[in-house]
Amino acid sequence: MYDIKVQRVVQNLEKSYSGRIIPMHEWDNKIIPSTTKAILKKHGLQGTLDLENPINCDDSLADAFFKAGWELALELGFYCEDTERVIKVSEEELLESIRDYPDHIVLGEGQDAVTMYPRRPESTVEPLIEASLGIVCSEEIYLPLVQGIVKYPKLVDALHGPSLATVFGHTIRSGSPLETLAGHYESKLKHEALWRAGRPGMCCVGVNSAITEYGHLGGAAEVAGRGNVTQSLCPVEMKVTFSNFHRVLHGLNNGHKLRVGAFSYIGGFAGPPEGAALTCVANDLLVPVILQSDYTSSYVYDIQLFGNCGRKALWANSVSTQAISRNTGYMRNKIVNQTGGPCTEMFMLEAAVGLMNHCVSGASISTQPRSAGGRYTDYITPVECWWTGEVFKSCAGMTRVQANEIAKALLPRYEGDLPASDKGFSVYECYDLKTQRPLPQYQELYSRVRNELIDLGMPLNNVYGDTFAGMDKDVKLHMSL
Amino acid sequence: MSKEELLALLGDAVADGDGDKAVDLAKEAFETGVDPMEVLNDGASKGLSIIGARYSSGDAYLPDLVGSGAAMSAVMDLIFAQTEGTASLDTQGVVIIGQSKGDIHDIGKNVVSALLAVNGFEVHDLGTDVSVKTFYEKALEHNADIIAMSSLLTTSLPFMDDMVRYVNDTGTRERFFCIVGGGPVTADFAESIGADGWGQSAFDCVELCKKLMARGNPGSGPTIKVDSQAEGRA
Ligand code: B12
Repeated sequence: MYDIKVQRVVQNLEKSYSGRIIPMHEWDNKIIPSTTKAILKKHGLQGTLDLENPINCDDSLADAFFKAGWELALELGFYCEDTERVIKVSEEELLESIRDYPDHIVLGEGQDAVTMYPRRPESTVEPLIEASLGIVCSEEIYLPLVQGIVKYPKLVDALHGPSLATVFGHTIRSGSPLETLAGHYESKLKHEALWRAGRPGMCCVGVNSAITEYGHLGGAAEVAGRGNVTQSLCPVEMKVTFSNFHRVLHGLNNGHKLRVGAFSYIGGFAGPPEGAALTCVANDLLVPVILQSDYTSSYVYDIQLFGNCGRKALWANSVSTQAISRNTGYMRNKIVNQTGGPCTEMFMLEAAVGLMNHCVSGASISTQPRSAGGRYTDYITPVECWWTGEVFKSCAGMTRVQANEIAKALLPRYEGDLPASDKGFSVYECYDLKTQRPLPQYQELYSRVRNELIDLGMPLNNVYGDTFAGMDKDVKLHMSL
Repeated sequence: MSKEELLALLGDAVADGDGDKAVDLAKEAFETGVDPMEVLNDGASKGLSIIGARYSSGDAYLPDLVGSGAAMSAVMDLIFAQTEGTASLDTQGVVIIGQSKGDIHDIGKNVVSALLAVNGFEVHDLGTDVSVKTFYEKALEHNADIIAMSSLLTTSLPFMDDMVRYVNDTGTRERFFCIVGGGPVTADFAESIGADGWGQSAFDCVELCKKLMARGNPGSGPTIKVDSQAEGRA
């Protein structure tokens, strides 16, 4: 029969037809800002942003954000754009969800299966990486690019994959029939690439070319079951659409795990960093109830910096992640939004600071990388995926105090460039897709930055002692193009 | 209270998005004989400059911009009524804005929309997932000067090309400026589809719209590209 999750999703859909009616403009511009502000004030959380200490080390502050986020979640719920009504949840529902939550999740199958665990701040358990982040690539390089991304088994655990803008050479328009085809085609390409890379049982996350639910419908069945994951991402702030429900139900129909996200913006409707941290906590509490996610994918983003590697967003992500890690067993995907592109020091530093922060704050998994903000076709190489894997996993066991000191040392090296960062190089300019190796300039940059950070105290040789040469002993790739 | 004090308070009320207070202060100014155009230019409009500066320094947020825009509209309505429609309250121009078909990323577009409004443009925001036909129909309905399309998705960029071709093919290219922006939209792309303009950020979009309105003649001349951060990026 159906998973119990189906019943709960249906109940929440029903609520979307009976909840309070509010115009969306009012939800965005009045209800979110005023409620967030009032709850911050009530809990004494206004002005707690600490720019000098971007990684929060104060447990009581994290707990206060948890209490306030709990209140916000109960007071607001999620707004359903399609019916213009509010879906509210009760305290019992929040508590039940936390109580019934699993203590681990298995992604993938067979020898390629990996296990995700809840992590508390400073946990010694290694978190997981799903790569890459849906950045568009040219159709003709999809296979070798993915082969490269999953090349090193200890660095990348699940395949999220690039996305496509053409299918059989035809331009895809969002929501058009070609998107339905592209979803299916992408899933097939992923299978083939994983097989070529010798990791056929690796978990596939989402259908990246699914801009609308059509692409998802096209591709989900092709990657049914076997520990695969559906992703469904909600509009900002604290909103949901039928497209989210469609994806969740397709996912459940196909035996997938569910990864559901709802983001928070500094500078947006929730206002200051404290406001965004607060809505982020509320999102992480509401998403598992309303959309029945197995793990959430919520994080804070700074709209003025087009990313989340500046001080404000680092702090807001640290305090909101710790709030949930300390008070629930929820597993969460926390994304770092770099702005620098492939083969830039900027990218490597943003990734290092952002992932170290998520790791010590208690994230269980991260989808990476967002090279050059994910904006440009073919501005993604396997190397950024490997780097994020090395950093995220190696930092397990570091303390927040250590991480905060390293962040403070590294931030001045890149923060001035955040508003106008360098998009770097396309895959053709800095990576060899035939040999699956970075070109010399990228290899040198990688090794240099890695060594510098090791000297600074980041234990980056925890996963692979040595770069490239050491890592290559672990490669399963059995077929090249 | 002196005239200057009253107008300064009005500016603050608009900057704080307090529409009721702004309207009361504007009424008080009229009652004490201040010229409506002075109320507009030396009072309310100052508030828009204040909020613009607060936003760019990170001290104000998106809802604050929206609130100031709404307060300004309320004051404008009052001035319009006060002058029985004779005040020349010409806007900087009429803009139809929306997110390309299939695309629901709307925060960047919302910022653009709010900044255009606080800079004196009449903005009709069609929201997300907007079809080419809807852009066109709304542009006709509001007698728009500018059709502004935003997209963050590579697969929604083709609709921008479709838009420019649609206005061409309907013989209305000379009526509307077509401008594009958002994450993956580059200046080269804008040029390749024959758009009138492209801007990197929301502030650049305001600059771009002002330049186009000053230049006139939609569909003619090279694509205007505005990127105030370009130097930092080079
Ligand atoms: C937040 C976000 C979301 C949120 C959006 C919430 C919301 N209500 O907006 C959610 C979670 C819903 C989402 C969903 C998806 N997303 Co998304 N998302 C992002 C993210 C992280 C930030 C976007 C953002 O808000 N930026 C901040 C704003 C302020 O910037 P902006 O929009 O560019 O606007 C500025 C300028 O461009 C300019 N501007 C904007 N419009 C205009 C217009 C004109 C005329 C002018 C002149 C200027 C201008 O002014 C603005 C202010 O300065 C980006 C990654 C990134 N780092 O950018 C991915 C990203 C855009 N998303 C992406 C994808 C793939 C998706 C999904 C398809 C994922 C999936 N498979 O489900 C879905 C698509 C849903 C849909 N149908 O639209 C990709 C797009 C890749 C591509 N090139 O096509 C990106 C780049 C991520 C990636 N792969 O790295 N996403």
